[in-house]
Order: sequence, then C-alpha cells, then structure tokens
Amino acid sequence: VVKGSTSLTVVVFLSHRLSKATGKMVENSPSPLPERAIYGFVLFLSSQFGFILYLVWAFIPESWLNYIGLTYWPQKYWALAVPVYLLITIVIGYVLLFGMNMLSTCPLNSVNTITDNYAKSQQRKKYQEEAVPALRDVCISEVNQMFFLEAKELSTNN
Amino acid sequence: MENEQSFSDICGGRLALQRRYYSPSCREFCLSSPRLSLRSLTVVTSTVWLAAYGLFTVCENSVVLSAAIFITLLGLLGYLHFVKIDQETLLIIDSLGIQMTSSYASGKESTTFIEMDKVKDVIINEAIYMKVIYYLCILLKDPVEPHEISQVVPVFQSAKPRLDCLIEVYRSCQEILAHQKAPSTSPQAHQKAPSTSPSIQKASIVSRGK
Repeated sequence: VVKGSTSLTVVVFLSHRLSKATGKMVENSPSPLPERAIYGFVLFLSSQFGFILYLVWAFIPESWLNYIGLTYWPQKYWALAVPVYLLITIVIGYVLLFGMNMLSTCPLNSVNTITDNYAKSQQRKKYQEEAVPALRDVCISEVNQMFFLEAKELSTNN
Repeated sequence: MENEQSFSDICGGRLALQRRYYSPSCREFCLSSPRLSLRSLTVVTSTVWLAAYGLFTVCENSVVLSAAIFITLLGLLGYLHFVKIDQETLLIIDSLGIQMTSSYASGKESTTFIEMDKVKDVIINEAIYMKVIYYLCILLKDPVEPHEISQVVPVFQSAKPRLDCLIEVYRSCQEILAHQKAPSTSPQAHQKAPSTSPSIQKASIVSRGK
C-alpha cells in the first residue's frame, strides 16, 4: 500500500511539473494536483477504516468487546437501524421532491403564469432597421394575436 | 344567430359549444358538459355498498350498512349541488362587461360579472395543470398602473375545452374587444405599429417557413 501511494504521488508530481513547464494555468483546472491526490488517499483510507470498524462492532459479540475493555459502545440495534433509516429517507426524499414540485407550481389564476418582475422591469431597446431585433419578453396579448388571429390567413393561403 | 358545435375537453370527453350572436356588440358562448350518466352513478354506488357489505361481514355491525346508505345519498346530493357543473356560459357585451355563469346539476347558478373598464384583454394561456393545458382567461387591469396586469381570471374551468374550441371563442372575443379599443386608441396604434409589427411578422414567417 505504501509503495502504491509513493508511486501515485510521484506520477502526480511529474505531471504537475510538466504542466507548469508548458506555462499552463493550473489554479482552477480539474487536473490532478499533489494536494488532491493526498486528499483522495486520506479519504480512501478513512472510509476503509470506518467500514472495518463498523463490521467489527456489528459482528463481534458484546462479551468479547467488554473483555478487551470497550464497554461504552452503542447498542448493536443501531448497526441495523441506521442503514434502514437511511434507505427509507432516500425513498421518502423522492416522494417529497415530487410533492414540493407540485406545491410550488403556480395555480391557474396566478399572475406568475403571465409575467414576472424581470419582464415587467425590462428596458425597451430602440428598433434598428436591417438588424436582428433585441431579445425581449413579448407581451402575451401580442403572442396570442400572432398565434391565433393571424394563423387563419396563413392556413387559408396554404 | 345561433350555432352549435361539438368539441372535446382535455380528458377526451364530449363538449358542446353553443354560440349566440345577439348583436354585433353582444355575444354569448355556452359550453355544456354531458350530464351525470346512470352508468357511473351505478358503478360508484355499487362499489361503496359492496365495500360496506364487506366491512359488515368482518365487524358484524349493521350501523355500517345504514351509514353507507346515508353517505351515498348525501354524497350524491352534495356532488350535484356543489361539484357537477353542467353548463358554463360566457356573455361578452361591448362597452359593458363580461359575465360568466356556471349552472350546476341541481339547478344552482353562480354568476360573476366583470366591468369592461377592468378588462385588459382576453387571452389563451398555457400552464401546467397535470400536463400542459391551454385555457382561456381574462386579464384585469391594475387600477394604479394601467399597463400592468393585476389579476388573471380563468374561464371554463370545469369544462376545460381543448385548443380548437378556445381559438373559436378567442377570435370572437377579440373581434368585440377590437371594436372597443379601436376608436379611442387608433393614433397611438399607428405610432407603435412600425416598431413592433415588422419584427414580429418576420419572426412568424421564419418560424412557419421552417
């Protein structure tokens, strides 16, 4: 394990030196850095240790743990209860997210289906000939007239 | 002049639209849903009574049966009086206002009247209901700020017709509202038209062409 970690950090150091030599900016890039390699390895080791500890706590009988001297550990009931609670929370989270979506949908008689603060306070740019018009929020009356009143002439021409 | 046409609502049921043109400035649109069918009534009643009988065989208490009968009767009366809307009418009178009437299956009628001063426009809006639906609504002006929309009043809420029916009603309403707007705002309309209409027409031609 130690050999693997040293070779990994050597590889990361070399790639970091190479990218610095070519003059690239590495502050905000997602490329591997020595610090990131160390963080990742620490996380890996601690998660493995946590898992082994959880297995030890769940499987070794209480009397053996007391014999070693570890008397004040939580009840083994929690070794089953916590994973079950976590899974049920995830399932309820799906249902809750759907429910919150339904709650925050505007009712049909709300003004938010027509306009909002940004559309009300937008500035009108001057119309220039031969130029593409500026992007703006079109009033719903105009949109309706374009879709439903003029479509008759277009469809009868076709 | 009277005209009757058959449309469908968003769930696929049949609707009948009746148009009455009383005068060039007064029109009425009447959407009728089908009446409460005997088939659905027997289905609901038999399921409730069968469930009550099942409960009775489990708990051996005859109160369950009489309670089921009461619930069915009261539920039917309440549904007919408060929920089931048979006909919805939109009456639009130029320079006076817009009146909406809902008549329930028990004969009750509820009416709402909106003065023409408060009406900004009648539009077809799209919104999310359980899927995306089109519905006709009346936009009301803000008394303080005349170009702002203060309230949205949806119409035909229980009939929920589809877009083809809504387009018919929308065009008729716009003809009447155009009479109402034209004499007072024609000089301003001529000034605004060059700035907005060519860009909108270009956009519409481009989109239709594709």
